Amino acid sequence: MLKHFYSYHVEIDSLVLEIESLEIEDHEKKNLISLAESHVHHAVIDSILSSLKKEEKQEFLKLLNSKNQEKIWKFLRDKIKDVEEKIEKTASEVKNQLLKDITETKA
Amino acid sequence: MAQRDKHIYKELRDKWIKKHKDLQEAFWAKHGDIIHDFINNTRNFAVGSVSGLMILSSPAVGLLSPTSSLAVKEEKLPMERKVFLIGDLSNVLPQEVRELTEDEEKKVAEILIRDFGLKVSATLDGKRLNRSYGYIGAEQHLARYRGDTMATHFIPPAGGSDNFVKHYSSGMAPGLGAWGYFANSQNEMTEQDLLREKYYIAVQTFLAPGFYENVREYITFFKFRKMLVVNPHNGRAVVAIIGDAGPAEWTGKHLGGSPEVMKYLERVDGAQKGPVLYFFIDDPQDQVPLGPIDIK
Repeated sequence: MLKHFYSYHVEIDSLVLEIESLEIEDHEKKNLISLAESHVHHAVIDSILSSLKKEEKQEFLKLLNSKNQEKIWKFLRDKIKDVEEKIEKTASEVKNQLLKDITETKA
Repeated sequence: MAQRDKHIYKELRDKWIKKHKDLQEAFWAKHGDIIHDFINNTRNFAVGSVSGLMILSSPAVGLLSPTSSLAVKEEKLPMERKVFLIGDLSNVLPQEVRELTEDEEKKVAEILIRDFGLKVSATLDGKRLNRSYGYIGAEQHLARYRGDTMATHFIPPAGGSDNFVKHYSSGMAPGLGAWGYFANSQNEMTEQDLLREKYYIAVQTFLAPGFYENVREYITFFKFRKMLVVNPHNGRAVVAIIGDAGPAEWTGKHLGGSPEVMKYLERVDGAQKGPVLYFFIDDPQDQVPLGPIDIK
């Protein structure tokens, strides 16, 4: 499982479990989980970057590169109102859409 | 039993790849400029540069297994492809510059094969170097034939005035390369000889596992062996040959690059030295041209 600075706030276990429950090969499950994680990640980072000013975006990328989660959160809380809720909401929307895809495909 | 939902996998896979592609395109349209600026500004960052930018990795990075039936084939802009290469490598490479594990080498090779279309590996014909990821230092020009000097080194068409300006200051190594001269004389020098000196690297052949047990066999193997050398921080890559042995262990460097190799990779010696990846190219028919190579 990929670990990101927002992992604590984003729960995708239910999505992973749903994929794991499919009767497909292990490498296929891994592929789908990888795609799902990447979906969530792109959406979360997009949401953050879209909420920052140009110079703040550079600073955020710099912090992201440093992997210093404490500094990342300090920066984000300072620049984006209710950033945790924002990230949770974004991730949740993506996760629900992907869960819906699984349900529809299984039907 | 595992095959029961096979159709579900294929449908989901195709649906999610399509969605992911759309997501990526929208993402890059919105934030591509700022990320490109960041990458350019972090080019000389310490080891592990951009390693935290998981955003740059393509979904294909974990799907590279030859056994995987999932092939993410997306047309990307050249810069974007390079950014993916940088991001994907940063996900595999360790923060510190150390010897890669077998698993890491395998993953790196998969990424390089995917992006450069060459058959590369850390081990070839059962032989390998002491490492495949290390600090590169600057080497000097090598004498290509008896009597070759800095004065003759850049005489057109062999070098050209542009190369003279760029690379004259590197100077000529006082001794010969590990394999001696590249050609018997100036008149006999071929285009291949010229390119071999131009794009050469020095590697620590003497530290290769098994080297001293079978010196002659190993020297024969290493002589002018083609390698793909990649700067993982900017995605620049060169096809070079092993033209010399070195550097000594005490230097703290693990390989050396000709002036042309260093220039293209945008690597420098000294305190600002940085790491590169160097993998063997399996090219028995000698079809891979030497010099800079772009992502396919």
